[in-house]
Amino acid sequence: MKSGSMAVRRLSIALLALPVLIAGCRRAEVTAYSVPKEKDPELPAARADATAPEAPAADTGAGTMAGTAVPTAEGPGLAWTVPAGWKAKAGLAVRKGTYAVPGEGGAEAELTITAFPGEMGGELANVNRWRGQVQLPPLADLAGAVLREEENGLQMAIADCASGQGDKPRRIIGVIIPFNGGTWFFKLEGLDALVEGEKPVFLEFLKTVHPAQP
Amino acid sequence: MNELLRQFRDFFVSLKLTVALLALGIVLIFWATLAQTDLGVWGVQQKFFHSFFVLERIPGTEIPFPLFPGGYFIGGLLFINLIAAHIYRFRYSWRKTGIWLTHLGLMILLVGELLSGIWQQDFQMNFKEGETRNYSESFRDNELAIIDEGDPKVDAVVAIPEAILARGEAVQHPKLPFRVVPRLYFPNAELQQPGAVPNAPPSIATQGPPFLRTLVPQAQPLTSKEDERNLPAAYVELVGPDGSLGTWLVSAEIPVPQHFTDRTGHPWKIILRIARHYEPYALTLLKVTNDIFPGSDIPKNFASRVRLQSEDGREAREVVIYMNNPLRYRGLTYYQYQMDKASGTSVLQVVRNPSWRLPYLACVLMAGGLLFQFGLHLFGFARRRVAGPQPVRP
Repeated sequence: MKSGSMAVRRLSIALLALPVLIAGCRRAEVTAYSVPKEKDPELPAARADATAPEAPAADTGAGTMAGTAVPTAEGPGLAWTVPAGWKAKAGLAVRKGTYAVPGEGGAEAELTITAFPGEMGGELANVNRWRGQVQLPPLADLAGAVLREEENGLQMAIADCASGQGDKPRRIIGVIIPFNGGTWFFKLEGLDALVEGEKPVFLEFLKTVHPAQP
Repeated sequence: MNELLRQFRDFFVSLKLTVALLALGIVLIFWATLAQTDLGVWGVQQKFFHSFFVLERIPGTEIPFPLFPGGYFIGGLLFINLIAAHIYRFRYSWRKTGIWLTHLGLMILLVGELLSGIWQQDFQMNFKEGETRNYSESFRDNELAIIDEGDPKVDAVVAIPEAILARGEAVQHPKLPFRVVPRLYFPNAELQQPGAVPNAPPSIATQGPPFLRTLVPQAQPLTSKEDERNLPAAYVELVGPDGSLGTWLVSAEIPVPQHFTDRTGHPWKIILRIARHYEPYALTLLKVTNDIFPGSDIPKNFASRVRLQSEDGREAREVVIYMNNPLRYRGLTYYQYQMDKASGTSVLQVVRNPSWRLPYLACVLMAGGLLFQFGLHLFGFARRRVAGPQPVRP
């Protein structure tokens, strides 16, 4: 019986120590390896649109009072004024603003505002990315495909992308604004008719975009 | 045996302990099921099952205290209880072979769960049709990657786990001509203008694009929900033999690397990104299939046709991965996880679990043991019925 009790004691101690010992094997360590050269991601905004797990929802703007245009919360570096009727939505943390643009019959377009350091692949790559999203072929150059405006000291490249293809054709109006070493993207996306009808309002909205006061 | 040891033994052998532990287990599972609404599956696993105690903070403080026994505590004691019972209480005979087999299966199941909790790693592979991936990404972990861009064909990567940044440990790696010193770390943060963050200290970043140097991380509550992820940020200083190269603000919110050169003009880039696990083979997504039952949104078939290509060229074949038909290759299992037919995107869940066979073995043993035991009783009962009623003894 004595040997039995010793066995139980030893077994108990060993079993209790087992998880600690095994867990100790998983301590985080620095690793080094070589991989074939990779291109930097060119489409960071697409990540926010993909099915990857979402970032913690951050309220990116104060809710607007019905029928009243009010200044939104400042984004980092730029600020803007939202037209009446657009509603701030909780968006991904990589977005500086997300707004629902209501249309007829419950239809809804969405304006997303993102900002990233650097040129983010340049205007042509980003315009072609938007064109690809509405089944348009890529362009070799941007001549005639982009409307250029200057508002509040900001250079804006505005690309209107619509193919008219499919049962429910979609349209993207994308705006690229270089600012302070980074690039801001304003992207209005939804059903073709809704976005086309909202285009004058969107262009007026762009006139309100300005550098935020520090 | 002295009295103390006897009490110790009797406690572990006791059937009352078994019943009490099973009751605690029922409460734990019920509680964890309710908590899943707020914490998600992963959060519940960590808090309730992969822990010795369910910890709660004392209201108004950050001090944790054990509120309830956790999965490791209950499972561990059950395991010890079962072994002790076999040593001291049960006596083997062939008629009890079924019980012993069932208990052996249960023990293997408990050990398997412990090993899975400790060893299992989950990743995901997210790609579009036509894209090739030779790495998968963690669901939750992040890493600071410092990449040597000097070779035109190869990136030499030094990956520092987020846990090391969190501990503030300086890293001197032989592949790096500088020391990596975490200055400030935020487990979940959103980058903001200093004016938008009350009492924000000024940015200490001295390198990187001017755009980033104007921003400061604003701490956000941690999340463990399934459809959310934490976005850590950190200020990292690189210190060479001739002094500091500067301090960078890195954030998982910025999914592009920051390029820089060291004092010799050698090119580097630095990024805080989702932790990657590279493999010596690649998968190319050839086609996604997303069928639904006609007239409904109910999924009928999610499938990804992929081409598996090993680096050494020995393996090159096409595989179809669909629900309940994963690809198992070199210790990893690729399950169909998510899909977006519109964009041709497929997400595979990638699981490394060296102990994945144990639950299957445990179930076979338990099923065999129960079949044997119940079969024995059934045959005995049938035999007695055939033999007719036994005379009743006065």
